[in-house]
Amino acid sequence: MEDVNTKSALSNKPFEFTGKGGEFFAIWIVNVALTILTLGIYSAWAKVRTHQYFYGNTLLDGVSFRYTANPVQILKGRLIAFTVFIAYYVASTMSPLIAGGALIVLMLLVPAFLVMSMSFRLRNSEYRNVRFNFDKSFKTVYKVFAIPVIVVGAYIFLLGLLENGMAANPEGQAFFPIAILVLVLAMAFMFPWWEYLITHFKVVHAKYGSSDFTFSASTKNYYGLYLKMYGLMILVFGLVGILMALLIPLMSSEDSSGGMSAIMPLLIALLIFPAYLWVFAYLQAKRTNLLYNNLHLGDNKVRSELTTGYMFYLYVTNTLAIMLSLGLLMPWAKVRTARYRASVTSVDVAGDLGQFTAMQAEKQSALGEEMGEMFDMDLGF
Amino acid sequence: MIKGYYFNGETSEKKDVSLYYSDEGHVAFTEASIDYVNFNELKISSRIGNTPRYINFPDGSQFETEDNDAVDKMVAALSNDSFHGLVHKLENAKAFVSFTVVTVVIFGWLFIQYGIPFFSKEIANILPEEASQYMGNGVLEIMDKSWFKKSELSWQRQKELRQLFNRLLNNIEGSDHYKIAFRQGGEIQANALALPNGVVVFTDELVNLAEDDLEIAAIMLHEIGHLKNHHSLRSTIQQFSLAMFVMLITGDVSTSSSVITAIPVMLVESGFSQDMETEADDYSFEYMKNNNINPNNFAIMMEKLEASFLPEYHECLKNKKAPSCIKEAVALNKTKKNHGSVLNYFSTHPGSQARMERFREGQEK
Repeated sequence: MEDVNTKSALSNKPFEFTGKGGEFFAIWIVNVALTILTLGIYSAWAKVRTHQYFYGNTLLDGVSFRYTANPVQILKGRLIAFTVFIAYYVASTMSPLIAGGALIVLMLLVPAFLVMSMSFRLRNSEYRNVRFNFDKSFKTVYKVFAIPVIVVGAYIFLLGLLENGMAANPEGQAFFPIAILVLVLAMAFMFPWWEYLITHFKVVHAKYGSSDFTFSASTKNYYGLYLKMYGLMILVFGLVGILMALLIPLMSSEDSSGGMSAIMPLLIALLIFPAYLWVFAYLQAKRTNLLYNNLHLGDNKVRSELTTGYMFYLYVTNTLAIMLSLGLLMPWAKVRTARYRASVTSVDVAGDLGQFTAMQAEKQSALGEEMGEMFDMDLGF
Repeated sequence: MIKGYYFNGETSEKKDVSLYYSDEGHVAFTEASIDYVNFNELKISSRIGNTPRYINFPDGSQFETEDNDAVDKMVAALSNDSFHGLVHKLENAKAFVSFTVVTVVIFGWLFIQYGIPFFSKEIANILPEEASQYMGNGVLEIMDKSWFKKSELSWQRQKELRQLFNRLLNNIEGSDHYKIAFRQGGEIQANALALPNGVVVFTDELVNLAEDDLEIAAIMLHEIGHLKNHHSLRSTIQQFSLAMFVMLITGDVSTSSSVITAIPVMLVESGFSQDMETEADDYSFEYMKNNNINPNNFAIMMEKLEASFLPEYHECLKNKKAPSCIKEAVALNKTKKNHGSVLNYFSTHPGSQARMERFREGQEK
């Protein structure tokens, strides 16, 4: 029926975002109003409408994405989460023991929540009337999460043993900050590997129709990214430190009566905030690029070219706009961020986007899936 | 006739088609291979801005079009569901949207300014005394571990102050379980705290500032004011409801960072806390007036407290005793005179100048 001999022909199809700030503002403010009027119940519908607006305005090859989640299901999930949250809050004010126990149980459930929310998100995403999907392999996710927990847990356990021995002599206390520093460094060293494992897990279990996504990045890529990020962090915050070291004596000598000391914290915040945002923008841009540039679906490959500079500019202007408008410019900020992201993302299409087949028998849903869909936590992709 | 794309639901193949319908409610395509379908069997997505519309057929196929107006027209002609697109109509009505903006802003402000404090107060008053007790258990132990040291006040002095505290309590209903404790403040310096379970903690540093025990009584009354008004419980409830409110409004927005919401939340919370300080002041003031204690004692103590944070005061303590040092520090502080600044908004206590003024004049605000 169809030509299959054009496989070698790669064509680049860009993503497009057609949403408008003003239009989304109206949707957002009505969402907020109805959410307040219904004491929060409408928030589930608001969430679906917001997602539908952003999906619907994201076009690839002229066709939109579609978000199909059922608000009632989200509401159920939220009610459960809310109840658990209240119960935890009440328990934590009454007994640290119960709270600690509850926290451990919740922590143990985090990997399961991650899988459930990925599944919920993808199963409710469609393109060309073909659903995305996610294989729920709880075993694998627990293996991935077990690694840092075991390492950090073992370390803390050891520290606990040591602390009991050290509490007696004051010299032992000097050892404590060093022990913490070692832990932080070890975690910083482990983190890239771990992020790779998580990302890999998410990608290879995702599907479009019956086709699997594949991931071509390696641990090495993630170490490269994070080493640069750590370097940048040291550089940027080092600069801030030097600037402050220069400024503080200058100010305190000028006016010792305290007139300047009042604006000192403000000044420090003005220095640290951009530094923090720059590092944040760098990380966001680079890790998103790393993820998408190694994302394949069959012979099709995604491309992403976010730049740190523009992300930084977006973050700074968005933050200022939202703060100065008391939140009213939030819809505008969201829309322009989405527009920028779409404008630098594209797909190298091999042949034709019409070749994917839907998953068979996806309608039958077991009890486990129903349960899974109740927890919509959106831990992000 | 509505132009759009047809997707069969089995593959991602796209077909350009036109959808047409008859007045009897029969819907079909010009190109695709299905017979006509009754309008009632279709699922039509509701309109959201100008995002494409989707029409789903019973066989799992889907029609996607950007021609929203044409779909609306079809729905108007064939459907008797008057709720279809209601939310979009609201979103599209400029007057309604502007009205909503104003209402939401005003409501949000009123809710945060008055609603949350009001409900927290009501809830805190309804909850049984045990709720506060539970919260407070263990707090002092934790503070003993991290900040406090054993008090160096003499037993005699502690006994005197304990008697003073109990005398004050005589006139106060439901204060049987209130207790006073003394600790060396260390890093937290001259300070007094009211723990939710009814324990008032005074630091040695604070006690040493006073020349007259009535000055200490004024502070005791302020702390008792916190206890009487269930302030710990209230601030817990307030922080919780504020967090919930912010979460509901901002929803899933993660535009850049949580700094955006963190700063306003911080401002509001310090506002809440200022309100409670004022309430505790009110309590202290009323009590002193009703029991013939000169309110000026409170102002004197506040002045000393403020001055006790000057570096010069701590410098002086190395050579001299507290009473003479604090006099110098108070005098020094007066020459510096308060420069009210932007940072007042970040403070958890109301402007101390205004607070003192009120007690000095001994009249209600």
